[in-house]
Amino acid sequence: MTEGETGAPPVLEITGLERAFGQNRVLRNVDLAVSPGEVLVLMGANGAGKSTLVKIIAGVLSPDAGRMTLAGRPYLPARPIDAVGAGLSVVHQQINDAVAPDLSVAQNLLLDRLCSGRTGAIYSPRRARREAETIQAILGLSLPLDRAVSEIPLADRQLVAICRALAEEPKVLVLDEPTSSLSQREAERLFGIVEMLKARGVAILYITHRMSDIRRLADRIVTLRDGRITGEFRPPLDFEGAVTAMLGAPIQRDGEAIRTGTRPVLSLENVRLTSWSRPFSFTLDAGEVTAITGLVGTGKSRLAEMIFGLGQAVSGQMRLMGKPYTPRDCGAAIEAGVFMAGKDRATSSIVPGFDIARNLSLPFLRHRSRAGFVDRSGERQKARRTIADLSIVCQGETDDMATLSGGNQQKVVVGRWLAEASKLLILDEPFQGVDIKARGDIARRLRETAGDRATLVLVSEIDEALEVADRILVMSDHTIVGDHRTGPGFDLSRLLAEVAGDLGAAPVHSENRLESAAG
Amino acid sequence: MTLAVRDLSIRYGFFVLLVALALFFYAAQPAFMSVRSLVFVFQSVAITAILALGVTGTLVVGGFDLSIGSVAASSMMAASYAMVIWGWGTTETVLLCIAFGLLAGLLNGLIIVYGRVPDLLATLGTMFLLLGLQLVPTAGRSIARGMTLPDSTTATGSFDPSFLALGRARLFDVLPVSVVVMLALAVAIFVFLEFTRWGRVMYAIGSNEQASRLAGAPVARYKIAAYMISGAFASIGGILLAARVGRGDVSSGNNLLLDAVAAALIGFAVLGAAKPNAFGTLIGALFVGMLLQGLTMMNAPYYTQDAVKGGVLVVALLFTFSLTRRAGR
Amino acid sequence: MDLTNVTRRRFTRLVIGGATALLLGGQPAIAQDRPAPFDKPENVSIALVRYLSTGDFFQAYLTGAQEQAKALGVELRVLDSRQDAALQADMVDQAIALGVDGIIVQHGLTESMTAAVQRAVDAGIKVVAFDVDVENDQVPQIEQSDRDLARLALEQAVKDNGESFEAAYVYVPGIAPLDRRDETWKKFKDQYAGIKEVAQFGTLDNPIANSVANQASAVLRANPGVTVVFAPYDEFAKGVKIAVDEAGLSSDIKIYSADISTADIQAMREEPSAWVATAATNPQLIGEVSVRALAMLLAGEDPGHNVVVPPTLVTRDMLLENDVNNMEQLSQKLPQFASTDVAKPEWMPTVGK
Repeated sequence: MTEGETGAPPVLEITGLERAFGQNRVLRNVDLAVSPGEVLVLMGANGAGKSTLVKIIAGVLSPDAGRMTLAGRPYLPARPIDAVGAGLSVVHQQINDAVAPDLSVAQNLLLDRLCSGRTGAIYSPRRARREAETIQAILGLSLPLDRAVSEIPLADRQLVAICRALAEEPKVLVLDEPTSSLSQREAERLFGIVEMLKARGVAILYITHRMSDIRRLADRIVTLRDGRITGEFRPPLDFEGAVTAMLGAPIQRDGEAIRTGTRPVLSLENVRLTSWSRPFSFTLDAGEVTAITGLVGTGKSRLAEMIFGLGQAVSGQMRLMGKPYTPRDCGAAIEAGVFMAGKDRATSSIVPGFDIARNLSLPFLRHRSRAGFVDRSGERQKARRTIADLSIVCQGETDDMATLSGGNQQKVVVGRWLAEASKLLILDEPFQGVDIKARGDIARRLRETAGDRATLVLVSEIDEALEVADRILVMSDHTIVGDHRTGPGFDLSRLLAEVAGDLGAAPVHSENRLESAAG
Repeated sequence: MTLAVRDLSIRYGFFVLLVALALFFYAAQPAFMSVRSLVFVFQSVAITAILALGVTGTLVVGGFDLSIGSVAASSMMAASYAMVIWGWGTTETVLLCIAFGLLAGLLNGLIIVYGRVPDLLATLGTMFLLLGLQLVPTAGRSIARGMTLPDSTTATGSFDPSFLALGRARLFDVLPVSVVVMLALAVAIFVFLEFTRWGRVMYAIGSNEQASRLAGAPVARYKIAAYMISGAFASIGGILLAARVGRGDVSSGNNLLLDAVAAALIGFAVLGAAKPNAFGTLIGALFVGMLLQGLTMMNAPYYTQDAVKGGVLVVALLFTFSLTRRAGR
Repeated sequence: MDLTNVTRRRFTRLVIGGATALLLGGQPAIAQDRPAPFDKPENVSIALVRYLSTGDFFQAYLTGAQEQAKALGVELRVLDSRQDAALQADMVDQAIALGVDGIIVQHGLTESMTAAVQRAVDAGIKVVAFDVDVENDQVPQIEQSDRDLARLALEQAVKDNGESFEAAYVYVPGIAPLDRRDETWKKFKDQYAGIKEVAQFGTLDNPIANSVANQASAVLRANPGVTVVFAPYDEFAKGVKIAVDEAGLSSDIKIYSADISTADIQAMREEPSAWVATAATNPQLIGEVSVRALAMLLAGEDPGHNVVVPPTLVTRDMLLENDVNNMEQLSQKLPQFASTDVAKPEWMPTVGK
């Protein structure tokens, strides 16, 4: 891969990049090249290694092996500021990390200059404003320069971040999932800017897994999966091929039947998550594992939190076992038999400093204690059973959580909520940062125990949904847009189209191939 | 092998230090080693330790309580006021003070939980508030029997002998009541934190508040309760102080606060717990008490004492944060 | 003090006072008879700039100052720096800016106050200072004689215990009055070879009595031969008394101290009590004298550079004999404690009577 689609020699070239965290090899022999005036889309599922790659390019992390050149010169930034100095700017996915919320838009646009000390000690607001206006003129924007960044909408903040990156007139611009929290119209504005930059000869590395972005912008697509480059696609672009290369062939569940529910547990009626989203309804049945999939930021977590008593719908109602259900907090939800393992186990589930047994028993201490005193031996006994059931790899139930691998930590989190019978179990991104083996163990255990309860799993990766679920709901723009049953008749391309938010736009000819991929 | 040495030093290093120190003082001043001496170490730290045990509760939920010193000082004033000016009996006075402590804790908790004011700032505010408020009823005077009130009448009440006994009497002629109270409270809070589900949830909240909330714990109520425990303990400390001194002294209680916090923080290092714990707090308080006791017996000047206290605290914190962390890795 | 002079002055005052009373039909001296500016006292304002304020002593001092100001009919502004030396200096400037006629500086640090006081003097404001040396010839120093305080208490100790005993001494250096009391203690030790100081301790940790009690317990156990404790500050004495009571040594040890308050009176009266004597200057009197000295300056009179308020010895026996329960009764029963003629020219109105 030495030459981009434009035919010009590449401005950023990466060869043989390697990076590991402990045992975990996150990037393996990655080659990548971007040319001036080209939009190279890098596709990859969660945990594929995209963010590590971006961090290395941006100078946040250093590679273990490999070579990078920028504009023909060796490039190995030790700090982010070195990258900027060499002509490479990155707009990170977390927009709020890239802006200082309490400063004005103008001050934010000039942040790099202010921080690098290139401005001299005294910097008049008027001069700042003038320079800020020049910068935003590059993009033809008219942002409210005097407003604090915290007061302007998210989409505008992102433009501020991009503007700021462009203030340094980079040769290479890296955009990390820039549309993940933008509406269609806001995204359209961004696309216009990207095209303009492309016309000026900026090389753009665009990281996303959103199909609409890819269709609109990509000159070339490279897919990353499990730390390896798994495919390169040049025009005419084979989008479905790229999706398959990104996700891999969906894993077939061996020997287990797709189940259908026995009786309704939770039903949502005309629920609206936000004032501007469309209402939706669905029912979850006992004995069935339902996955909700959809891109990041489409409202999956919000839906889960609402069911778990952490927030309220704008309108509509919920029924649990036929009775109206409005939990006032998590405690009430748990009392009613609705359990949830939240997204991002480190913040939402794991108590550092507690051993495995204590982490497992946390929600059910009342059942593990007599007259307020915790029955430690009963607690440990129960923990040993969970460890066996989920094949948690550890020395024993008194191990500290910090000694466990990510997958085993996640098993503890899931095991916590499997320890007691529930009516509905919600798992928000249970496979995040979990290796294949642990993922299989968790999915198996979920399906083994699914008999008497309804199970709801929220995942942004479609193959995860396929692995665990009997039924897949698709969420887009804070509403449910698709309802699929896995097994015979499952229409993957339709699901992908629903996920990508452009129903009906999927090319017809690719359908057969995808169907075969789905098995 | 080296690992075992490090483990042992983390777990028992502090006790070795404690014993070594005791032996050192014994060599320097034989009067140091006697039952009375030991009892005295306990007595000298009783009030500080009670405050420290209370603040341990707030440390466990990941908070902090800067107001304990002024709660104790105010409680002392309240006790004196109730007895000397209103002529109340012992029981009512004690109940009043504890109720006052609970109320101060409730106020702290509400400001922190519902007002979303950071704990240090909220309790700092309460601290100042109480420092000022405690002076209002007597217009800044200390309270003693026969005192002249702001309206130039003379107070008629006096400290009930049974109240004074709280600070002065000895059980079996050996154990001062204040020490008994300290030990009882230490055992109570130790059992509560280590063995009950409520204590367990408090530790969980301190370690990961969001996870505890998602596990169904009523986090707000637990936090408020922790500050109420802290307030109640501080007010009990104030009662004992009033009973020992026998008057309502105008004082800030800031030294009580600092000593109590130091004891609780030193407690982190005991047994390599690396977290707030009641047993460690008690040992921490005793350690400081023994040190000061020994230094005083050896005629060390007063300013050495603060320096030594500070030194111990720094060493204990290093124990906690650098040695234990490294071992955990 | 020149006794004959006092008597003569008192006599003159009686005569003049009587004459005025006659002239004005039994009315006490009214403002018109006083020297300017006190003929129109409503136009006079003075400021009290304090360094220490918490505690009975300072409360009583303030009361005295207020009462005397009221008697004069002048406005008294109280500026309270709460042990913040820099703030206290700022407050002097604040007082200058407020346009007060006179300033009383109550305690503080020489280093921070000297310059501030000089600014006030330069601005034509009269200043007196209590218990802080501001190194200024134009500023009279109000003092309770700490040396006399210590001397009175120690003389009583020698009277009670003879010229040879083992003593423990409570002291924290760096506090001006305690340092002055310390000088006397050193002199006494030199004078009486039989007085042995076997231990010295002390702390100002809050609450002081409680902290001193902890130290005293250790000291008494380490030094069982101690029969006298010299604790020349009442908070110290209270702490020592707690320790002595706890050790059950109330009849074996005698405590001599300085300063007094209602609470101290109660502690001394307890049965038994090791606290047998204290030498004290009535803080309320010092407050009155401070205002009076300033008033004299304002009237163009000279109170002298050192205005010393003499102390009184109060023993446990006196308290029991006269059944004194609080400061008020102490003032009633021991007249030398209740009033002083220091800084009292004839025109000066007497407080509140």
